[in-house]
Amino acid sequence: MTKALEGLLAGWIGHQRWFAGKGRAIDGVGIESDVELRSGDPGLRHLIIRVEQAGARDRYQLLLGTRGEIPPRLEYAHIGDGFYDAAHDPDLTGLLLEAMARGADHGPLRFRHVEGAEIDTTQRSLVLGAEQSNTSLVFGESYICKLFRRLIPGVNPELEIVTALARRGSPHIAKPYGWIEIDLDGEDTTLAFMQQFLTTANDGWSLALASVRDLYGYASQPEIPASDVGGDFSAEAHRLGAATARVHRELAAAFPTDTIDPPEIKRMAERLRARLDQMILDVPALRGHDEVVHAAYDRLAEIDHPITVQRVHGDYHLGQVMRTHAEWVILDFEGEPGQPLSERRALDSPLRDVAGMLRSFDYASRHLLMDHPEGAHLEPRAAEWSARNRAAFLAGYTEAGGHVTGDDAVLLRALEYAKAVYEVGYESRNRPSWLPIPLSAFTRNT
Amino acid sequence: MSSASQPVPNTFTHEKPRDPHWYKRAVFYEVLIRGFADSNGDGTGDIRGLIDRLDYLQWLGVDCLWLLPLYESPLRDGGYDISDYTKILPDFGDLGDFIRLVDEAHKRGMRVIADLVMNHTSDQHPWFQASRHDPEGPYGDFYVWSDTDEKYKDARIIFVDTESSNWTYDPVRGQYYWHRFFHHQPDLNYENPAVQEAMLEVLRFWLDLGIDGFRLDAVPYLFEKEGTNCENLPETHAYLKRVRAEVERLYPDRVLLAEANQWPADVVDYFGDPVTGGDECHMAFHFPLMPRIFMAVRRESRYPISEILAQTPKIPENCQWGIFLRNHDELTLEMVTDEERDYMYSEYAKDPRMRANVGIRRRLAPLLENDRNQIELFTALLLSLPGSPVLYYGDEIGMGDNIWLGDRDGVRTPMQWTPDRNAGFSDCDPGRLYLPVIMDPIYGYQAINVEAQQKNTGSLLHWTRRMIEIRKRHPVFGLGEFTELNSSNPSVLAFVRELGADRVLCVNNLSRFPQPVELDLRRFEGATPVECMGGVPFPPIGELPYLLTLPGHGFYWFTLSPTSATEES
Repeated sequence: MTKALEGLLAGWIGHQRWFAGKGRAIDGVGIESDVELRSGDPGLRHLIIRVEQAGARDRYQLLLGTRGEIPPRLEYAHIGDGFYDAAHDPDLTGLLLEAMARGADHGPLRFRHVEGAEIDTTQRSLVLGAEQSNTSLVFGESYICKLFRRLIPGVNPELEIVTALARRGSPHIAKPYGWIEIDLDGEDTTLAFMQQFLTTANDGWSLALASVRDLYGYASQPEIPASDVGGDFSAEAHRLGAATARVHRELAAAFPTDTIDPPEIKRMAERLRARLDQMILDVPALRGHDEVVHAAYDRLAEIDHPITVQRVHGDYHLGQVMRTHAEWVILDFEGEPGQPLSERRALDSPLRDVAGMLRSFDYASRHLLMDHPEGAHLEPRAAEWSARNRAAFLAGYTEAGGHVTGDDAVLLRALEYAKAVYEVGYESRNRPSWLPIPLSAFTRNT
Repeated sequence: MSSASQPVPNTFTHEKPRDPHWYKRAVFYEVLIRGFADSNGDGTGDIRGLIDRLDYLQWLGVDCLWLLPLYESPLRDGGYDISDYTKILPDFGDLGDFIRLVDEAHKRGMRVIADLVMNHTSDQHPWFQASRHDPEGPYGDFYVWSDTDEKYKDARIIFVDTESSNWTYDPVRGQYYWHRFFHHQPDLNYENPAVQEAMLEVLRFWLDLGIDGFRLDAVPYLFEKEGTNCENLPETHAYLKRVRAEVERLYPDRVLLAEANQWPADVVDYFGDPVTGGDECHMAFHFPLMPRIFMAVRRESRYPISEILAQTPKIPENCQWGIFLRNHDELTLEMVTDEERDYMYSEYAKDPRMRANVGIRRRLAPLLENDRNQIELFTALLLSLPGSPVLYYGDEIGMGDNIWLGDRDGVRTPMQWTPDRNAGFSDCDPGRLYLPVIMDPIYGYQAINVEAQQKNTGSLLHWTRRMIEIRKRHPVFGLGEFTELNSSNPSVLAFVRELGADRVLCVNNLSRFPQPVELDLRRFEGATPVECMGGVPFPPIGELPYLLTLPGHGFYWFTLSPTSATEES
């Protein structure tokens, strides 16, 4: 029976969007943990399965539904032989809410809720489309529960950070409700995390693009400055900067902080330099820009005061922030996806996030120009939008207590170049026609 | 009086109170008597002229006329400086004309409310004259007098362009008098019980003549108290409650509409106690919404509207907001932040002459650069956002303004009825008109007038009439809950209005570019959206996000038919 199921899963898992080992042969699938959450028809089991691929071994999580007959509406989630991916079955997912509300233990699975959180267990779920590595269930209009698919032992940084910031009353996070955990390799490991669903919010990226498109509409009227155009985004960029500074302050208060001494800063500059030199070999288009980047790294190496490091967002860009009716709310405190947990939780300069957001403004202003017939014509408008909103973001960040002058300016410049160098590598591999976006970062005269 | 629980007849009289909540569904129309129609050829509109045009307003779908002050006045502030509360301004006619107006309106199923200024009078009012000449007499204490101009320093000056203080010295009485508006408009002293009684007497006078209610001008300022900003004081609310109780007792079915240019959180206090369903004013204007509609469309972002509606508190059950796009005053910018105000100025008032006090004096069409799509979008928002819509005369045909006229006269020019002399407003010599008609090539009366637009079914006038008709077919627009929907596109404002099984879905594209939007409509799974203008059914709502595409500045209104019972096993 188990063997048969493992066989079915081996044939099925390779086609799942969230499967991380796509393109490599699957040598074997084994069930590591199997907990029955509901018996009968339909039944629900929680599985942790092991997937072996060319010596590598990954764990994945699965909600396994069982039904005598699969109704048409669940056909697309059918695994075979009456087994299906129960994340898509709202008749069963309510069990997760109930278990979290009760704080129940099911075998090794521990369902928990945030202290004082009331969970409405009647909400029905819908799987949010188009997710890369996890599966998110939206319950009614109330909650979004992220089911981590590939499991890495340890507490998920997002759970850790969001619950800590919630305890401090931060307005810039989505309220946490509950989570599911298990011990894996002796470590407390997060399986799922449920937060408030922001019903009437949009992400910063789509808001920024609406503004950029509006400005492009004025391409034939260069006499109208970006500040006078209807879709101006700078007030929002300013608010976002302020929210970012406040979250950084909250993170510094909620978690340990440390400093990096000048010798370590020098080593950091060396690492960045090495990466740049390697990238120039890989991407010849970068040649000619190296001087300005090296100069920035030289100045970084000259910093003779310690710099403060703390917990940060780690993967900060316009797609990670949502504008609600009241505030900017920051999502996905998970760090760079795909990196080991220790690295994702490592202390870093908050300017890493600032640099990420500045790069994101650049992307927002320019990515519509790529493959655009009038791209060259619109370029000055893009530069104008980017400069205006970057400045507004930094002004907001500073007004709310963030630091971006003196040594901090040097560090920020170096981090932004480092990010752009990384992007050069990424674009040259994946979207060569977008290469001009990161390259333009080196010719900016601000 | 007969009982209030009778069935609703098609016509009504005041002896049969029949619809205590009529104002929650009504479409209001603001009329400037002076500017609407001139019956006697003296160049100034009058009540008889208005009576002649009631058929037009009935045809348009108007439920209630709101008249600007029609009382005797030296007219130094557009009639808001009343010198006799119980007389009609002779330019407009007499009390007989007024009674006939109310009668004729009622015959057509329309109601009539009028502006009433309770806070102050003209300095020509006999009360003030008596007060300044005889401090010991019966009117000596009718106004707020002081030996110094030092009191109530925390009260802001409202007309900053013309007034430097809220106190003015009166050489006759040898004291300063208090005025929140112009110096020729002394504030009445509501601490004096005789003033409170006198104002109730004024209200009863007009209610006895059949008027359906009042728009109470400048209500936040009735009382003063040291150490406060002298706005929204508890004493003011207590007096308004008294006024309401008096109206309720003797004149059911009437409405009090508060003009309180304040934040919604402060304005809700003018509705009174929520436990009673509201025991102060039935209605109040929602001021901050209007500039934000303009801002949202200019920014192509729903947030300015979403934010202000999210910040708007719930109002008591029997109350209603009054909402508007434009009125006889400037586009008020007091209720936006400084940053937003700068933005509004730069966007909508590039010529400094367009600014007045803290605001912009333009009509709707010129504010929107005469763009029909935008005018339609704005009108659709006005008719679908929570509240009762108040149209401003002339905006239904897209009238223009004249920024070269002084103060706020630019938006108060004669109504344009025909392409004939004086726009059909008056048959006097053109030079005698109270204000010149608009004559520019785009908005002039030869291009924009009622007659031409009535003949052309594709006109803005016909379109507006049709939209009003649709709104009136669905009481949910006036009575329903408002819920904003999760929209994937920040340029698209989507919301439902709900009243039991009656549900309307409104989707508005605030961008000038076509936009797609995915809406989370799971709550209505199984329902079929039916477009309100043409009755075309759209694909039924399923579990997945509902995809719509909208043209630039486009909008849809859908009714959501009840969920069909045939879904799923």
